[in-house]
Amino acid sequence: MSTFWRNHRHWIAPTLFIMPGALLFGVVIILASAETIWVSFFDWDGVGEKQWVGLANYVQLLDDPQFHVSLKNNLIWLAMFMLAPPLGLALALLLNQPVRGMRVVKSLFFVPLVLASVTVGVVFTWVYDPTFGLLSLIFGYFGATAPALLSDEHLVTFAVVVAALWPQVAFCLVLFLAGLNNLSEDLIGAGRVDGARGWPMLIHVILPQLREVSFIALAVTVIGALRSFDMVAVMTSGGPFGSSTVLAYQMYEQSIFSYRFGYGAAIATVLFVIMAAFIAWYLRTLLKPEREGI
Amino acid sequence: MTSVELINIEKHYGGFHALKDVNLSIAEGEFVVMVGPSGCGKSTLLKTIAGLETTSAGTLRIRGRDVTRLEPGDRGIAMVFQSYALYPHMTVAENMGFGLRMAKRPKAEIDAAVARAARILRLDEQLEKKPKQLSGGQRQRVAIGRAITRSPDVFLFDEPLSNLDAALRTQMRVELSTLHAELGSTMIYVTHDQVEAMTMASRIVVLNRGRIEQVGAPLDLYTNPDNLFVAGFLGAPRMNFVAGEVIAANGSSARIVCSGGLEVTFETLTTQVGVGETVTLGIRPERLRLGDAAAQIRIAGNVRLTEYLGRETIVYVDAGPLVTTGSDSGTSVFTVQIADVRPFDNGSAVSLGFDPADAYLFASDGRTITPSKPVAKI
Repeated sequence: MSTFWRNHRHWIAPTLFIMPGALLFGVVIILASAETIWVSFFDWDGVGEKQWVGLANYVQLLDDPQFHVSLKNNLIWLAMFMLAPPLGLALALLLNQPVRGMRVVKSLFFVPLVLASVTVGVVFTWVYDPTFGLLSLIFGYFGATAPALLSDEHLVTFAVVVAALWPQVAFCLVLFLAGLNNLSEDLIGAGRVDGARGWPMLIHVILPQLREVSFIALAVTVIGALRSFDMVAVMTSGGPFGSSTVLAYQMYEQSIFSYRFGYGAAIATVLFVIMAAFIAWYLRTLLKPEREGI
Repeated sequence: MTSVELINIEKHYGGFHALKDVNLSIAEGEFVVMVGPSGCGKSTLLKTIAGLETTSAGTLRIRGRDVTRLEPGDRGIAMVFQSYALYPHMTVAENMGFGLRMAKRPKAEIDAAVARAARILRLDEQLEKKPKQLSGGQRQRVAIGRAITRSPDVFLFDEPLSNLDAALRTQMRVELSTLHAELGSTMIYVTHDQVEAMTMASRIVVLNRGRIEQVGAPLDLYTNPDNLFVAGFLGAPRMNFVAGEVIAANGSSARIVCSGGLEVTFETLTTQVGVGETVTLGIRPERLRLGDAAAQIRIAGNVRLTEYLGRETIVYVDAGPLVTTGSDSGTSVFTVQIADVRPFDNGSAVSLGFDPADAYLFASDGRTITPSKPVAKI
């Protein structure tokens, strides 16, 4: 036994350690995803018999105006979320000054990270309230009437994204602050000796050192935009008239409220493909420098 | 012409006084090496000249121009860092041309400057590589090349060879000296390695606790240290120091007694000392002679340990009641350096001898009070 253990522990021990995680991941993620894709080929109300319909759910999706709205909204989320990394970086550069009391200011910027996103949603719903919200107070100060953002089908998605951007910017801020802490002082010194300052210093010396952090911030932001769900659920429930739904919310709505599990699964599968494409690109870019040995 | 002039430079870090009234004038084309123990302020002084650190008080002139408040990029300096500090995302050529690019020089000029630096440093084959693909020595050359392309008035080196292995260090030392001869530029070089200081410098600046202890040519400093600190800092193995007390003084001559009853008479001191004053006697390991009956002062002792270094031998001699202070070995034995290889048995009795003319005497405040000794002509 002891000889067997000594000869084989180099693979037995790691396998044992990985097993629980792998099992959980296999059941909860892999198996569930596979079943979702499988279900998307059926017409199913969640309790009764499944009926094979082939690609009918996907064909229906193509002509579903609600699906187009969701897809478009997801793109709006994605585009507006792209503001989070640069905003986070700008704030991080601003907050990364050796000024007395800056720690307190920094911790104030971390507040949205501490709040549950549901809380953020509720707070912003109040801010946007056209009668007693902060926004109406501000508009009232200038003698104007605040628009009812959450009941305007053209503005609602933008309003929700702005609310969601708050914690997202704070998250990027934390990442970049950590990155700025690890800057090489010598490299900055070399840049200063070479006459770089301001913009050129940021572009040529600082940002290249933040490359990895930026990459993580970008990835987290893209995934955050694509899986957006909770803010929509809390602030608008997809309304008015389904104008603020996103793919994740529509899937939830179709499956849970309309008992169309097959159709919901088809939406989930589309979202999965979009995510998978992005993750494939991400991993490729991430692994490339490693392979080149840089 | 004066290249760099430091006038009453002061530097405070909060409550810490890092540089104390530093005054130094460096002539055009000099190779000045600043040495000192860690924390002595040598790197701070270099960064102050570079402009990476601000001064608390004082004036800094480069080629007569007051640069005290100027940004590093506007001072006409270039710096080589211990960590090389190459831009990791740029190729060797881009690294070397970056300074000129920031100065908005035309591309043709940048290319020419990079090509010239690459030729001098034998980097022509590496221009398209990234720093990560280079060896330590090559990276250091790129860092030097980056300095050369900017054709600065002054080159600053911050312990540039510390990260290299011994063989490469010797090679780069020779290359840097050659480069200095070739370019003829003013160079200021910081190191904690006294071999680098002795071999490369036209002048050495010894720093201690933020103060300049002494400035001078390497052999001048070695032969005629101004004080106890410089005497102890330059020279490996270190000078032997023995604490003593003045027992008789007559004009410029004085007789001292050391622990163990050893008495030595100095005839021509530069400063008068009083009876009862504590002094320190210093004698370099190579000035101690083993078994020489002609030596004026003789000490009996036993061999403790012998180190055979091939072309020389270091013998540690325990002289019983006569003890040395502050030696390298952390013991109170004498260090003797012999220029050839001779076998010694541990524990064997030997006689140490020296002439008072070869010894140094330091007053209680550390100043050297023996007259200057002739410096070997080179």
